[in-house]
Amino acid sequence: MSHGGGGHAAELYPEEQIFAAGIGLSLVGCYLAAILAPYGLGMLIGGLLASAACVAGANTVRKVAAYGLGTGVPSIGMVSLGMGTLSAVAGVLISGCFNLPYWVAPILTLIISAVIGYIVGRLTVNPVGMKIPIMVRSMTFLSIAGAMALLGFTVAYVGSLEPSAYIDGALNNGIMALAFIAAGMAILHPFNACLGPNESHKRTLTLAVACGLLTWFVFSVVKLDVVSIVVSIILWAIVYVKFVKMSLNDACAVLHVPEIPKKEE
Amino acid sequence: MDIVSLIVPLIEITAAGAIINASVHFVPVGGAPAAMATSTGVGTGTTQLAAGAGFTGLMGAAAMAASVGLSPTGIALILLSGAVSSMIMLGVTMLIGQLIYVFGIGVVPAADKCEIDPITKDPQKPYVTPGTTGHGVPTVCFVSGLIGAALGGLGGALAYIALRKLGLDAGIAGMLAVGFFFINAVLASYNIGGTIEGFHDPKFKKMPNGVIASTVASLVFGIISILMVLSV
Repeated sequence: MSHGGGGHAAELYPEEQIFAAGIGLSLVGCYLAAILAPYGLGMLIGGLLASAACVAGANTVRKVAAYGLGTGVPSIGMVSLGMGTLSAVAGVLISGCFNLPYWVAPILTLIISAVIGYIVGRLTVNPVGMKIPIMVRSMTFLSIAGAMALLGFTVAYVGSLEPSAYIDGALNNGIMALAFIAAGMAILHPFNACLGPNESHKRTLTLAVACGLLTWFVFSVVKLDVVSIVVSIILWAIVYVKFVKMSLNDACAVLHVPEIPKKEE
Repeated sequence: MDIVSLIVPLIEITAAGAIINASVHFVPVGGAPAAMATSTGVGTGTTQLAAGAGFTGLMGAAAMAASVGLSPTGIALILLSGAVSSMIMLGVTMLIGQLIYVFGIGVVPAADKCEIDPITKDPQKPYVTPGTTGHGVPTVCFVSGLIGAALGGLGGALAYIALRKLGLDAGIAGMLAVGFFFINAVLASYNIGGTIEGFHDPKFKKMPNGVIASTVASLVFGIISILMVLSV
């Protein structure tokens, strides 16, 4: 198995802390988005808090992909969103089927995604034979993060947790597909871009925050929510400039050359 | 909803997962080394190649499903449409990749995992540059890739049909099928562990493990899908 990562750099915060904070915030975000939607604040608050789930997912990708997956970092980001799609849709639809109050949908999503993540994680270890010690735990975490990111952004867009409104507003018009790939990019891209021998947790996390905010921006544009568009693009610009400065500082040398110098004979 | 109309889609979903997983093992995936023409196959990861072909198959199937409906003839047409769309997609990918490898980089397509090509009977080993594991997409890999794409499209279309039979709307069924496809494609790519040339590769013998994993995962997926539609 090839090593795609660059070992484990020192961690700024433990993985569990970031994960718990990210999932907690996005769970609160789902409810706030549904409650505040009539006041026009659904995307502003819901989108911001949903991007926390992207950061949590990106941090878990960093942890597990550093062992070297052998198939590239994007694969684990995509499986995370694959499990997340099922859990998010199932969470909303199942609550509608069994006459449960519809506000249990985010909690159902959380439970279903944890179960699916655990099962798929066990399958990657047992018949398939992945030799990564934290595989089961990471798959569970990733499944939850993917599901919460998807649910968070789609609920922020729809502004309701009610199943029929959700089906019309997020599934039949294809917003779910946008959430799939945009949130997927936010989860898989940060470590994929930053991996290497000089990878630092702070830099990867900064990029993860930037990617989460950019996903929020994409959804604000789709919803045509002017306040969210302005706030998200300003926050993204601040974080991204910080990331670029950090990269330039950490680089061995920064050369500004107009073209590749010709090799002299 | 009676029990038969729930069990049949469940079996179809489970079979679809196993077919998708098997299909990925046929696709010649070169990974990063192939991007530098130092390994046989197309230069990208398993997930991306399988997903590209699988989604095209799913689109073809969905477009066909919209016009023919879910009668037995319709189902046959949907499956066929999925398989052919997928084959076209992967065939074009491999062909254009091959053109770039041969005329752009200037390597000879050669398989590393077999002495002679099982289909054309051409010798392969003398053309493999020392220190590399083959180049380009030789005939055997191309044929293997087409078989894989056909199976992948078939699996994706079957999953879509099963979800539609459960009574889910086209949008929900399509989205769930995409998620379903990714879970199975990634399980297969973890089973392969990087690169594979096709059905002549020794790694191809690991396929049963991946198929078992996908069958179990698809069964869980199917049960949750059924819970979604139980008491609508």
